[in-house]
Amino acid sequence: MKEIYLPITVDHIARVEGKGGVEIVVGDDGVKEVRLNIIEGPRFFEAITVGKKLEEALAVYPRICSFCSAAHKLTAVEAAEKAVGFEPREEIQALREVLYIGDMIESHALHLYLLVLPDYLGYSSPLKMVEEYRKEINIALELKNLGGWMMDELGSRAIHQENAVLGGFGKLPGKGTLELMKKRLAEALPKAEYTFELFTKLEQYAEVEGPIIHMAVRPRNDVYGIYGDAISVSDGFEFPSEDYKKHMVERVVEHSFAKHSFYNGEKPFMTGAISRLTNHADKLYGRAKELYESHRELFRPTNPFTNNLAQALELVYFTERAMDLIDEALARWPVRPRDEVEVRDGFGVATTEAPRGILVYALGVKDGRVSHADIITPTAFNLAMMEEHVRMMAEKHYNDEPERLKLLAEMVVRAYDPCISCSVHVARL
Amino acid sequence: MEKEKVRIGFYALTSCYGCQLQFAMMDEILQLIPRAEIVCWYMIERDSYEDEPVDIAFIEGSVSTEEEAELVKRIRENAKVVVAVGACATQGGVQSWEQEKSLEELWKAVYGDAKVKFQPKLAKPVDEYIKVDYRIYGCPPEKRDFLYALGTFLVGSWPEDIDYPVCVECRLKGNSCILIEKGEPCLGPLTRAGCDARCPGFGVACIGCRGAIDYDVAWFDSLARTFREKGLTKEEILQRMKIFNGHNPRLEEMVEKVFQGVEE
Ligand code: SF4
Ligand code: SF4
Ligand code: SF4
Repeated sequence: MKEIYLPITVDHIARVEGKGGVEIVVGDDGVKEVRLNIIEGPRFFEAITVGKKLEEALAVYPRICSFCSAAHKLTAVEAAEKAVGFEPREEIQALREVLYIGDMIESHALHLYLLVLPDYLGYSSPLKMVEEYRKEINIALELKNLGGWMMDELGSRAIHQENAVLGGFGKLPGKGTLELMKKRLAEALPKAEYTFELFTKLEQYAEVEGPIIHMAVRPRNDVYGIYGDAISVSDGFEFPSEDYKKHMVERVVEHSFAKHSFYNGEKPFMTGAISRLTNHADKLYGRAKELYESHRELFRPTNPFTNNLAQALELVYFTERAMDLIDEALARWPVRPRDEVEVRDGFGVATTEAPRGILVYALGVKDGRVSHADIITPTAFNLAMMEEHVRMMAEKHYNDEPERLKLLAEMVVRAYDPCISCSVHVARL
Repeated sequence: MEKEKVRIGFYALTSCYGCQLQFAMMDEILQLIPRAEIVCWYMIERDSYEDEPVDIAFIEGSVSTEEEAELVKRIRENAKVVVAVGACATQGGVQSWEQEKSLEELWKAVYGDAKVKFQPKLAKPVDEYIKVDYRIYGCPPEKRDFLYALGTFLVGSWPEDIDYPVCVECRLKGNSCILIEKGEPCLGPLTRAGCDARCPGFGVACIGCRGAIDYDVAWFDSLARTFREKGLTKEEILQRMKIFNGHNPRLEEMVEKVFQGVEE
């Protein structure tokens, strides 16, 4: 007779971006099945933008995801510029990175304080923490407002920036605004450090300890950061971004509108803040480097929960880094916002580090239109590994109260900071 | 005596979550807490209930699966006021840009022959399935759109729609006109205002994220000539308008009218 087991399910995981669920089927002798159900509908971004004018497609791509719209915009623009054979001036590149960092700061602050912290403090929502944790909520708001404001000034708004275009920017903020930005970043630094201290104290659940393959973009000029043209793997292998399809192989799985990815077609892997640190911590500098070194033992590349702490460290790092990048741009002031770009036919692959990890855009351009589009997002890369870690958690806790098991499973998912909308749509054209 | 709290639900269909994020990112939300009870809002509240009665239901996203089509019907039954939020919910969103290809073609392009166990649908705006009482436009909407709508609902009144184009705000701001000066396909003249001409303010042409304005009030006469003088074709304008207006039933008619009497 076929055994029937009731699954323990979370239909809609709260406090993540997008709609996903977890299903855990427990039998007499343990966990039978674990599934991350991605129930967000498909949006077919690649398919709908092929054949469309390049500039219009570039306006649409950020709409894949609001939590990292600047990441999408800037990665798409870089892929398009590579495709048409254009290279932006260094000062433009620096200011784009500041815009990208705005996204990083906002996204990390949102994730850490509003999505992750409530679990640890025993709340169902950050709104309920306000009375008791005023200070933390205020820091969260300040940091996310700072990131949002950086995106307003450099990108036109905090969500779906239109002010990042082929060849540069539509318009740049004045010198005074950039100086003010630097000042506000300096004021935010102690708050970023407070966040780091706070997250050093949180539990990292040993249940999910185990080897993880990490992938991260090799940062340009060997300075820890966002842009790069090669992918490094924690096993020592490294490949040029153009070869992403060979080493980050996707498969459709039945229970999800999002595909799963495997390293060389075989093994799940992880990408995100902890992967960046695992592969490239030697390229940190400043206060973040000191903090990293003094808390070395807490950064465990074998544990997905460390991703939270890694994000907290990055809040410190990127706050400082943005100040340096602003200095670079100010040193060449006044900066011309935009260069003329001749839209030639071609093909370009851009890989950057979005808040949640590697983001790949491969765009082909023909006659001013998109002729090929392939976009793979960090969450899509992470799904297989995430499912694996939920399974490990479930195997240790399947005898617990279902509510407890559900919460722990959700916490694993939240540690990855998934962008579920992002993960849904991936294409083969 | 304490006033009864307003019960609010925020529901997500298929979307980028940006409208909710915009809402969540308003510091003013904190002031709302004492007056409102959040019944459902998965993005930030774990104790969320999809099938509970609410006073105001904000729905973000386009209906893109069978399950979502069912969900919006249940939301309607449970809500006094249904507000469609953002380009996805009001117009089907950028996922409705492509109107030529069938679901099968799109599916094949992205997933090949693979099947998944959920039922996808072509993206549609919420009002194709249920009655919508009020719409907040934009991708994403401006924070003040939310504040205005919420504020008016809370005092028991009803917010008004904007019926003039982005150009009005753009002229008031004193921007130089991208359409006239550079000949770029700015959609300001055909797009609902309310963003304070955000993009032209940055020297970037409007792509129409707040949706098409009712055609009788846009600036047609001079527009047709300007679009044409700048070498923009009817087809180009129509295609660009469709980015955010895939399901607008009056779009073709409106663009047709703009170009009426203008030879291609
Ligand atoms: S309308 Fe725009 S911002 Fe809102 S959910 Fe849709 S894509 Fe995102
Ligand atoms: S066409 Fe565009 S730039 Fe010109 S006034 Fe209208 S909104 Fe402004
Ligand atoms: S200018 Fe146009 S595209 Fe930009 S925010 Fe306003 S309506 Fe949207």
